[in-house]
Amino acid sequence: MSEVLHTLRCMGFAELSRIADAAALTGAETESELIDLAVDGLVTRQMGAWGPTDAGRAEDTRRTAAELDAAGARGAVDAAYGKFLTLNPELLDLCSAWQLRPVDGVPVPNDHHDTAYDARVLSLFGELDQRAEVVCAHLAAALPRFARYRERLGAALDRARAGALEELADSLTSYHVVWFQLHEDLLVTLGRPRG
Amino acid sequence: MILPLAPSVHEPADVLGGKAHGLITMMRLGLPVPAGFVVAVPAGAAFLRDGTMPSGLEAARDALGAEAVSVRSGAAVSMPGMMSTLLDVRGPITTAVSDVFASWNTPRARIYRVLHDIPHDLGTAVVIQRMVYGERGGSGVAFSRDPTTGAPQPYGDVLFGHRGDTVVSGRTATLPVTALKEREPTAWEALVAALAVLEAHYRDACHVEFTVEAGRLWLLQVRPGGLTARAAVRVAVDLADEGLIDRREAVRRISPHRLRAAATPRMLGGDIVARGRGASPGVATGRVARTADRAVRMAADGPVILVRPETSPSDLHGLAAATGILTARGGLASHAAVVARSLGRPAVVGAADLLGPANLLRAADVRDPADLLGAADVRGAADVRGAADVRGAADVRGAADVRGAADLLGPAAPREGTLITIDGSSGEVALGNPGLTPAVADTHLHRLLGWADDISGDRSPRTGEERLTAAREKL
Repeated sequence: MSEVLHTLRCMGFAELSRIADAAALTGAETESELIDLAVDGLVTRQMGAWGPTDAGRAEDTRRTAAELDAAGARGAVDAAYGKFLTLNPELLDLCSAWQLRPVDGVPVPNDHHDTAYDARVLSLFGELDQRAEVVCAHLAAALPRFARYRERLGAALDRARAGALEELADSLTSYHVVWFQLHEDLLVTLGRPRG
Repeated sequence: MILPLAPSVHEPADVLGGKAHGLITMMRLGLPVPAGFVVAVPAGAAFLRDGTMPSGLEAARDALGAEAVSVRSGAAVSMPGMMSTLLDVRGPITTAVSDVFASWNTPRARIYRVLHDIPHDLGTAVVIQRMVYGERGGSGVAFSRDPTTGAPQPYGDVLFGHRGDTVVSGRTATLPVTALKEREPTAWEALVAALAVLEAHYRDACHVEFTVEAGRLWLLQVRPGGLTARAAVRVAVDLADEGLIDRREAVRRISPHRLRAAATPRMLGGDIVARGRGASPGVATGRVARTADRAVRMAADGPVILVRPETSPSDLHGLAAATGILTARGGLASHAAVVARSLGRPAVVGAADLLGPANLLRAADVRDPADLLGAADVRGAADVRGAADVRGAADVRGAADVRGAADLLGPAAPREGTLITIDGSSGEVALGNPGLTPAVADTHLHRLLGWADDISGDRSPRTGEERLTAAREKL
């Protein structure tokens, strides 16, 4: 199990700093491991971004399945995934509500001038995050590497609450982006195709 | 709190719920509505308070004398797709009614209400009607005018041999509603006449859900409006020309926000190859790339439209490289839609035409259920993505790794490298570059603003929004 390979597998193409942040490693550690993985033909670097190769994806699938079976965690991850799926449509609704605001029944881009509306959406995000925290705790108990998602989701929400409006749905470190990596990770971990 | 669906019932919509109010209005207009009754909003509120069910429910159901019934939610405030519908209920209905009452409190429904300032304690009415069977004819949705352009012809979808829930779920490919003309000519004439009657009553464009059973038309729901901003401008002007409303009313109906939305540049007609839902406004022209990696490479040579069955985080680099985004699946809250808006890229989602026939079922399974912002009336189960994933578990492990995206797209999908244009407002996809229609070329908009100047008495050069605002202040 290579944390960096698996992180990259769930992120797609990304620059070094984002990979290091997601994997909770230093830039130097991450780069060193990426170079080893590249030598083995498991990752590639294009236009400044790293991404997994087909061989890298296949190898990660194999290692992730082995890790899951060794930990005897399939049942627990499967159950947590079921709970995640009930939260997923709500998260997507809230991201849309953050980006588009109904005005006279017409969705218009949210210019964030209506602070009362933003406060309502942010508060709903907070409620959802509390329920997501329970799911993340179950996942981390089954496989410790999932604990990083809790930290990243919480950090994104904190940044948004501190006024960084793009940190809910509109940046590469946003709650939405981390959430989708978690979704991808669950699919990969359980060996399920998307759709 | 049980009332029959009958022309003599005059309770307001906040008691009857919007659906029952519309059905009774149609009965009063002499239009065909299946017999039934409504468990009114106060009964739904009582259920939420302390779980009590209204008395007389089963007696009313027995009195209906129908073997099977439909049980549908119908709140006073429209919450499209957020609550339950149960079709083909046989025997006692108490459980079905309490299920619909309880569906008021699903998490998504709660979110919807918070965002739209709807109180949580209102509750919903429940409409119970004799079941009509689209299996013995067809079902569909019809607008009195084209909801995208406002053109004055009936527009909509019909599905022969199926009931209405199949149409709105998108599980099966539909035909244009005009197909009724050939297959069910009597029902078609009745539908066209009904739409005209409803327009005259509501003095606005309307849309209905309908079922044709053994050649006979039944109307199951009516709602006024439901138009894009551009269509709303045209309809307001046309209705004034037709004498259904006066010019002051036409100006009153278009808010400055709608005017701004109507002024977004739109694609000219062109050779339309697919239609989806506009998820991020704007028009984009570029060459088709069918994977994220290709999009990144091709973007070096010019604008690219990324075309995908749906998107995931591993497409992010392709989404960022693309000028526009087109997906076959998903709704206004899908990953592609959220990311496209965050990047300010035009996007069309849920263009199911892009999938091969064998893939239509899968497309529907992952389509987003309801439009949270109420722009459209597409409904489905809450947890559709989950359903698709559970089915997918049977697939070979790792199949997603080796299966390219392109083979999920059907033969109708444009080939890589093809120049296409997408309109993120209307959801249309055209071959080539048909060009843009700027708002100033819209004769309807011009006339509406002229009427606004007549009202304000101010003809100085100003923006359209200023002209409209000045007129509306005088109204």
